[in-house]
Amino acid sequence: MTVLELKNVGYRYRDAKDNDFVFQNLNYTFELGKIYAIRGKSGTGKTTLLSLLSGLEKCDYGTIAFDGKDLRHMNLDSYRSHQIGIVFQSFNLLPHLTAIENIILSMDISGNKSKYKRQEAIELLKKVGLNEKEGDRRVLKLSGGEQQRVAIARSLSYNPKIILADEPTGNLDAETENDIMKIFKNLAKEGKCIIIVTHSNNVASQADLVFSLAKENKKKSLKKDKNFNTKN
Amino acid sequence: MYILKNAWISISRNKGRNILIAILIFVIAIASTVTLAIRNAASRLIDSYYDAYQVEATIGMSRENIMGELEEKDKDTILENASNVILTQEKIDSYGDSEYVNNYFYTATTYLNSSQIEAVTSTFEGGNKEGKGGPVRSDQQNSTGDFTIVGYHSYTAMSEFITGDYTITDGSVSEDFSSNSCLVNEELATTNHLEVGDTITFTDPSDSSKTYTLEISGIYTDNENSSDNKMNMFSNSSNKIITNINQVLKMDRNATLSPIYILKSMDVLDAFKEEVSSKGLNEYLEVQDNLSEVENQLSSISNVKTFATTFLGITLLIGGFVLFVINMIHIRERKYEIGVLRTIGMTKSKLSMQFIAEVLIVAFFALVADACVGSVVSVPVANHLLESEINTSRENKENIDRNFGKNDSIPSKEETETNDIKTQEPAEEFDSTSLGGPNVEQITQINAVVDFKVIVQLLLIGLGLTFISSCASMVSIQRFSPLTILKERS
Repeated sequence: MTVLELKNVGYRYRDAKDNDFVFQNLNYTFELGKIYAIRGKSGTGKTTLLSLLSGLEKCDYGTIAFDGKDLRHMNLDSYRSHQIGIVFQSFNLLPHLTAIENIILSMDISGNKSKYKRQEAIELLKKVGLNEKEGDRRVLKLSGGEQQRVAIARSLSYNPKIILADEPTGNLDAETENDIMKIFKNLAKEGKCIIIVTHSNNVASQADLVFSLAKENKKKSLKKDKNFNTKN
Repeated sequence: MYILKNAWISISRNKGRNILIAILIFVIAIASTVTLAIRNAASRLIDSYYDAYQVEATIGMSRENIMGELEEKDKDTILENASNVILTQEKIDSYGDSEYVNNYFYTATTYLNSSQIEAVTSTFEGGNKEGKGGPVRSDQQNSTGDFTIVGYHSYTAMSEFITGDYTITDGSVSEDFSSNSCLVNEELATTNHLEVGDTITFTDPSDSSKTYTLEISGIYTDNENSSDNKMNMFSNSSNKIITNINQVLKMDRNATLSPIYILKSMDVLDAFKEEVSSKGLNEYLEVQDNLSEVENQLSSISNVKTFATTFLGITLLIGGFVLFVINMIHIRERKYEIGVLRTIGMTKSKLSMQFIAEVLIVAFFALVADACVGSVVSVPVANHLLESEINTSRENKENIDRNFGKNDSIPSKEETETNDIKTQEPAEEFDSTSLGGPNVEQITQINAVVDFKVIVQLLLIGLGLTFISSCASMVSIQRFSPLTILKERS
């Protein structure tokens, strides 16, 4: 089932020259229940694409549709706090809060009025392999892998349909990388759409679909990466 | 609600930063508290002056009206008409019968001769040293007698002694306002070798068989030391004999009467003037008041209040600017946090509210601490600044006592305290604090306290200033792009 759709999307940086587009006429659809890996050389616009999908940036032309609705006509704060979860390479947790507090804050922002938010946060941490004791630590006291688990748990705190991950294992060792990918696989099985930007072959190999952001006739497009034997 | 919770967590987890902000707000607030306390104390002092002040209305010649008529009519006619204006006792009573008047009294003036003493004359005028009609009498308005006899109703009416124009140099003012005691000018006493306890016999200018005897209870000097004629070496009052109104009315039933009305408050002054006018006050006369006297008394304390207000404004302006800069630094320092919160969907408005709430909470604690410290610090500082006003007030009272010749008999008064201003109870027999002129109760202590009013003002001003300076700096939040922030961070 299609959840995100790119239709003739074009984007250029604010300080770019008139015709220096990062993307032109980019088209693709993302479906629920699948893991997408997007690869490409540095500077090809992978993170920019993720920013467009998350509503942090707006495309210059074309349409990005979530559940058939054009993002330009949606409240993007609400979109980010309800429909998508974002996981960054550098975790982007609030250092003065504990892991549980980071998750609860995200629940608060999404409008969760439950009296049992702490318990729900602990459940989410358990889901990503952390316990309550670890959850009560300030995030800076946790390892990189643990922090990334917390970031994933936070992105799940409002049960979004899509998880956007920007090199989520870039700062992690191979073993932890596999652990993180297991979590993503489980989330995909639960029906979520996981879109990962990565340089890691290991991550890409575990995705359902792997794309390369490549230039073709001076235009960038999402092409299936032939190096990976994916399911589709 | 989560905004407040998050704001509180942020404050408690970033103590160092918030303590610095609190100290800054505390310093600004202390300066404001002391200034506010001084300003409020000065305001209360001014209010208490006005509350205790007896507004006096008198009836005198209207120079404005006379000058106005001079353009249209013959000068001699106008002056003659004006000099013939007589204020009868009936008129005086009718004006006094007003809802705006607390009570009223009047002075009576007549003119007598004396064969016992000679009037003071100017040596340069070459007048008759016998004091019989011929010599120029500096204060004589009416040529029917050499001596001006002025009768007062009470101490309150003796405004020259209260203002310090006249001062007793020997003896004192009699406390019995029905006796035949009198006060004579020092110049007259010297010329005629008069002393306290001597008696003087006056005669009616129109009937020399009618005699009146007054006993000298005191000798006064005229500090104004001026005369109408620059060639006259004596003062205007040299031939002025001061006694009580009963004696003057005994001497002359048609003595000139000058009323003094004590009004209920200064607010009714205009209404009283209108009422007197409607009761037929002669066009050459007008109601005059003594408001300018109290305004002169209050000029220095008003300056203190103005200075305090100006200083408060400058403090708040500089404080507001410093808070604005601190907020800007504060926000720039927390750009990463802003980026994260915006990325996970927190709206700009809620983010701004959280930051404002944080600063307001810190400001609130700083202001509470300031109220405690300020209440201790502001009292001595403000009282020190206002000390000169207290001293001036005390000196005024002592001067009045001295003017009446009461140096050694200033009654001991039991001090009573009203709010934060101590006043003195009137004494039974003589109390200069209840006299006319600057008719105010004497202020012996001013406490510039940090009271509820100051605390409320401080909280409103402090929180308002913090809010405004926070709001201004929050504009920068609106401009931050979360993606840019997080990229910079990476």
